[in-house]
Amino acid sequence: MKRNWIHPEEPQNAKRYWRSVSELERREDFLKNLGREFPAGDTLTEEERENGRRDFLKIMGASVGLMGLASCRRPLTTIQPYTQHLEWMVPGKPLLYATTMPRSGGATPLVVTTHEGRPTHITGNPLHPLGGGVDTFAQASVLDLYDPERSQKPLGKGKALSWDKANELLAAAADEAKKSSGASLGIVIGATTSPTYLRLLGEVKAAFPQAKLFQYEATGGEGPSAANKEVLGAGVKPFLKLGSAMRILSLDCDFLGLDQVAGEPVSQFTKHRAKEDKVSQADMNRLYVLENRYTLTGGMADHRKALAASYIPAAAALILAELGDSSAKALADTAPAGLRDWIAPAVRDLIDNKGKSVVLAGSRYGAEVHAIVAAINNALGAYGSTIELLQEAPKPEIGGFAELQATLSGGQIKTLVSLTPASLFYDAPDAAGLAKAVSEKKVNLIHVGMLTNETATKAALHIPASHYLESWGDARSADGTYSIVQPMIAPLYDTASKIEVLLALLGRKKLGPAEKPAEGAAPVEDAAYTAVRDTFAAVAGGLDETKWNLTLRDGFLKASAYAKASASVNTAAVAGVLAKGKGSPAPTDEAMEVVLVPDSSVFDGRYTNNAWLQEAPDPVTKLTWDNAAWIGSVTFRKLGLKDGQHIKISVGGASIEIPAIEAPGHASNSITIPLGYGQKGVGVVGGDRGVDAYVLRKDAGSFVLGGAKVEALDTIAELAITQEQNTMEGRAVYREGTLETFNKDTHFAQKTGMDSHIPENISFYKGQVGVKSAENPAGFDYETKHQWGMVIDLSKCIGCTACIVACQSENNIPVVGKDQVRKGRVMQWIRMDRYFAVARTGSRKNADGTVGVEQETTWAIDNPTPEQLENAEMVHQPMACQQCEAAPCETVCPVNATVHTDDGLNAMAYNRCIGTRYCANNCPYTARRFNWFDYNKRNPLIDTKVAGVIKVNNLYAGPLGEKKEDESLRLQRNPNVTVRMRGVIEKCTYCVQRLESAKILQKQVQRDSKNFRVPTDTVKTACQQSCPADAIVFGDLADKKSAVVKAKASPRDYQVLKYIGTRPRTSYLARLRNPNPNMPGAKDIAAWSKNHY
Amino acid sequence: MGNFFPRWSNWLPLKLGIAVVFIAIGVSIGVAYYSTPKYTRVGYEPTQPVPFSHKIHAGQLGLDCRYCHSFGEVSSHSNVPTNQTCFNCHGQGKGGIRATSPKLELVQKANATGQSIPWIKVHKAPDYVYFNHSAHLNRGISCVACHGKVNEMEVVRHDQPQSMGWCLDCHRNPEKNLRPLDFVTNLNYQPADLNRADFYKGLLDKKVPAAEIAEVIGGEGAKADGLDAIVSLAEKTFGKNVTQKEVGTQLKKHWQIQPPENCTACHR
Repeated sequence: MKRNWIHPEEPQNAKRYWRSVSELERREDFLKNLGREFPAGDTLTEEERENGRRDFLKIMGASVGLMGLASCRRPLTTIQPYTQHLEWMVPGKPLLYATTMPRSGGATPLVVTTHEGRPTHITGNPLHPLGGGVDTFAQASVLDLYDPERSQKPLGKGKALSWDKANELLAAAADEAKKSSGASLGIVIGATTSPTYLRLLGEVKAAFPQAKLFQYEATGGEGPSAANKEVLGAGVKPFLKLGSAMRILSLDCDFLGLDQVAGEPVSQFTKHRAKEDKVSQADMNRLYVLENRYTLTGGMADHRKALAASYIPAAAALILAELGDSSAKALADTAPAGLRDWIAPAVRDLIDNKGKSVVLAGSRYGAEVHAIVAAINNALGAYGSTIELLQEAPKPEIGGFAELQATLSGGQIKTLVSLTPASLFYDAPDAAGLAKAVSEKKVNLIHVGMLTNETATKAALHIPASHYLESWGDARSADGTYSIVQPMIAPLYDTASKIEVLLALLGRKKLGPAEKPAEGAAPVEDAAYTAVRDTFAAVAGGLDETKWNLTLRDGFLKASAYAKASASVNTAAVAGVLAKGKGSPAPTDEAMEVVLVPDSSVFDGRYTNNAWLQEAPDPVTKLTWDNAAWIGSVTFRKLGLKDGQHIKISVGGASIEIPAIEAPGHASNSITIPLGYGQKGVGVVGGDRGVDAYVLRKDAGSFVLGGAKVEALDTIAELAITQEQNTMEGRAVYREGTLETFNKDTHFAQKTGMDSHIPENISFYKGQVGVKSAENPAGFDYETKHQWGMVIDLSKCIGCTACIVACQSENNIPVVGKDQVRKGRVMQWIRMDRYFAVARTGSRKNADGTVGVEQETTWAIDNPTPEQLENAEMVHQPMACQQCEAAPCETVCPVNATVHTDDGLNAMAYNRCIGTRYCANNCPYTARRFNWFDYNKRNPLIDTKVAGVIKVNNLYAGPLGEKKEDESLRLQRNPNVTVRMRGVIEKCTYCVQRLESAKILQKQVQRDSKNFRVPTDTVKTACQQSCPADAIVFGDLADKKSAVVKAKASPRDYQVLKYIGTRPRTSYLARLRNPNPNMPGAKDIAAWSKNHY
Repeated sequence: MGNFFPRWSNWLPLKLGIAVVFIAIGVSIGVAYYSTPKYTRVGYEPTQPVPFSHKIHAGQLGLDCRYCHSFGEVSSHSNVPTNQTCFNCHGQGKGGIRATSPKLELVQKANATGQSIPWIKVHKAPDYVYFNHSAHLNRGISCVACHGKVNEMEVVRHDQPQSMGWCLDCHRNPEKNLRPLDFVTNLNYQPADLNRADFYKGLLDKKVPAAEIAEVIGGEGAKADGLDAIVSLAEKTFGKNVTQKEVGTQLKKHWQIQPPENCTACHR
């Protein structure tokens, strides 16, 4: 008999959680697809529908002809062993390397898993002082290594060159520069902390004394460093001690997300969020955020206010004024009305927690904001307590972007070497002017990079860059710890690292394929390796082989962090910096502001060809494969826009046309545009996706542009937004409360909604578990086996989607492409559900005008006003297979392809699955994914011409399409996980391959002994390992010492949809917020329903 | 009205029916035998690029399997040896044994060029099957259980069906194949070769209670308090020689051999 669940009505006086405004307002387009596993066929365009049937017949006809060709002989396969023994190489066993990903702000310490020499998966390095989880970019960077479209050959003006020719050109440029003792040579670098790189730059400077160095990063604002130089002194670097900060106020600083703030890892912030017992408000940290759009940091805030970015300088000045310093009074007076009511109680709280509080400002703001913030932090006693001042290693003198522009147009430079990860002709302010200057002044541009982007194809010489997993290097992490970059695979193509290019400029290395040493000659040591060893010797104080080998093993040199600086804040300098700042006009209806921000998928554009990142939904908008203009509800409705409608944004002369989306929690008269899209020529993944917003920018420091005009256009873009896919149909799945609620009743989350009405679980089974008796004749004891379980702490989860990418990398999850995402066929096993919430307003009315509870009237309450939407709360909930003990999917599988294992997993045997999709249909968590196509074998991103005429997406071309697994992408696959084929369902397995190998390892160790329980907490799932916030706990429920047992004992522990009795093994810990009772609107925050029904 | 059908046609439906039943049975038997790994795999004996003889190396010379397949006990994969392993004996300036033999031509060439020898795969698990050598070798399953008596093969031959049913047979009744760890790579091992007293002493040394050992031998209620009593009880139950059942049941019980029968054990 079919059991029809009547899901309980949501508590009406509580907050409602919704994923999109369509869902909130129960718009028709949302209701149409509600309850459907996939949106209806209306994702096809008119033309596709027209051609679909005819194409199908043609293609089928052709494929029948091809069918006979396939034969079924036993394929002859060979085993090709290594000819020489390789140290540490055991076929079938992964080999781990500690290394470092060089980043613009510092370095991310990593441990890389390699299988037979192929790096396949990346995790954080737990030994490193700043180790822990990793972000999406580091996690996905392994795919860049295998990118089939990465630059592989030197290019000259876009045409392939031989390495001999490239070396010749490079040598000629160096000779030329020598003649002018370097005056004609300019080098542009990105922000770097690599000691070897900086040392070699110094040597280049010595060899070419007149040469000029510039630093340019597309989105790295120059404000913080300029302010630091004035206020703190040269070479002094502030280091944020997140773990010590109990009160944080962020002025549009996304320190949990895309703003790379030098400081302790995110887990130091989240460790103060999770409480298991009553605590005072002082013992839980509190985060205030002012920002124009939602960021991950805003989502974690206890108090957040949407404030246009143009007001941030005024807000900073207001804080300083509240602290009793009137030096920025004039600026503070420009703050909008009402802002003081918000800031005053917040600042009071910061003052009450002197020495434990800190104020942060986003890197996109100018030096004046950072100077004010330095003065604020000084007044709060932050320096020395929540901010450590470190003395950086000396650097050669490096100019900024303005100097580069000036020098270029001055015409002194004849050779410009671009080593920055930015693409000068794409993302530089006035990129067209720059390109013109380069061609007019006959500048020889030498570009080094991994992508064949605009700069690469226009440069006189493009040198393909090596990936960091295939080259030697080093970097200093944020605290200055010397970290090593070591290769674990020989360069896949003949490429050169940036260090090697500098060595070539110095005449110490010939680029290109390594030459075989002559017969009998001693092998020549790699020049880059020698260079790094030399640097290491200088840093470590002598080349000690043991120390070197330990550094290679651990990935870093112990106790090599920067020394503490003896600097103090020069408050006198603040006024000087302040005077130089230029005010930004308040945004109005006619002259809006445009805020340019780095993108969560492509950052500043450098990761544009990474398909995992492109398909990972933006944490806030859930948009994939594109960028769009985010507009707050008030402005959006005033402009009369529809989601995805194109708008034309003009800012002083420049204009772009871009789709707009309604963004709850966004300030009005403000438009946010993520950067990095609209690049040309980079490949099928990143090429021509989205819109280039760099063209709007005037100079390197301007990310907040005033005076924008917006005009609605008629066309509507087809965006792939996942927010309404796999919905939980509005059921109350997210639970949160304030610290106050928690202190009143620590078990509040377990009493919310239906959970308070579920009767005690009474077992039919008699007898004692594990003891033979009449009732339990087999003496079955489920606790002799491992019982896997997981807990996700919503107090800690910041919603960054690192887990999604980690899962994709570990479990060979295919990328499906934009079209398929639009059809709801995204394959990622983890879904990062993002909900917005507002306090309820209005009253519910029945049809007859009475007020009461009736099923039909659930949605009839008033919709929140656009002003309320502007301050909606945002929360994240990662959702994957819950490994239900009473799994609804298992009972409906006609072929037993999904069954339960005795260690509690909901197993999925792919080779048994026939693809009925009953299981996916029956899953209340919508956690199952279906392979509609052979995504792994057929590239979903390209079009194929069938029979030379019909152009269709490759997936739809059937056997006539391109069916070739890309050789290089294959190398990334995890050999321990089946690569799934078309027609099978897949889902989270708790990384069963890791569980099984842990169990087998224990058997290997124990052999004929008895203890086969995997040691407590030694096995980790990929998502858990990658989580930078430590929000995921996984382990053996039968092992009473394990962390997961402790986590499940938390009073905040609850199961999603507990009332349907699926008994999920994954449970969640309710989120806690710590609102300040003196703040405006504090009562509405995370209001929890006290009325059970 | 005349008879349209002759008399014999009355029996035709029955005859046809019987014929169909026989044909169906025949086809079923045929498919069950000829289309399953019992027939399609067993006996596969491809000619290898190098005429390496396991019979000489493992049989006559008595090399341990692990001399060449060195990682079987620690890895999922039991590796095919590198060229250097061959050259430990056959290399110039080392053992130099038959270094110039034409049979070793490919090995010499591989050494000079670094091109590895393309050995033809005999035992091939499908892509979705994750077999782990170390899990078996460390738990008393011998090489011979899956690969047959390789020490008697001139050319390696597929000896067992290695089908899923065959795997499960053993996973359900592991006692048929368990043996003491010392004999895992001894392809000529017979249970009867074991010294009964030594075998039980080994178990007692591992702190297995004598009473439990006795219970495994004689069923519930059987008692023995020391080595001698156990041995005499075993002799009474199994006869003079040690049998596979005797060894297998003891090891299964005391090593807690519980082979997984979950899908996830082999399919991930």
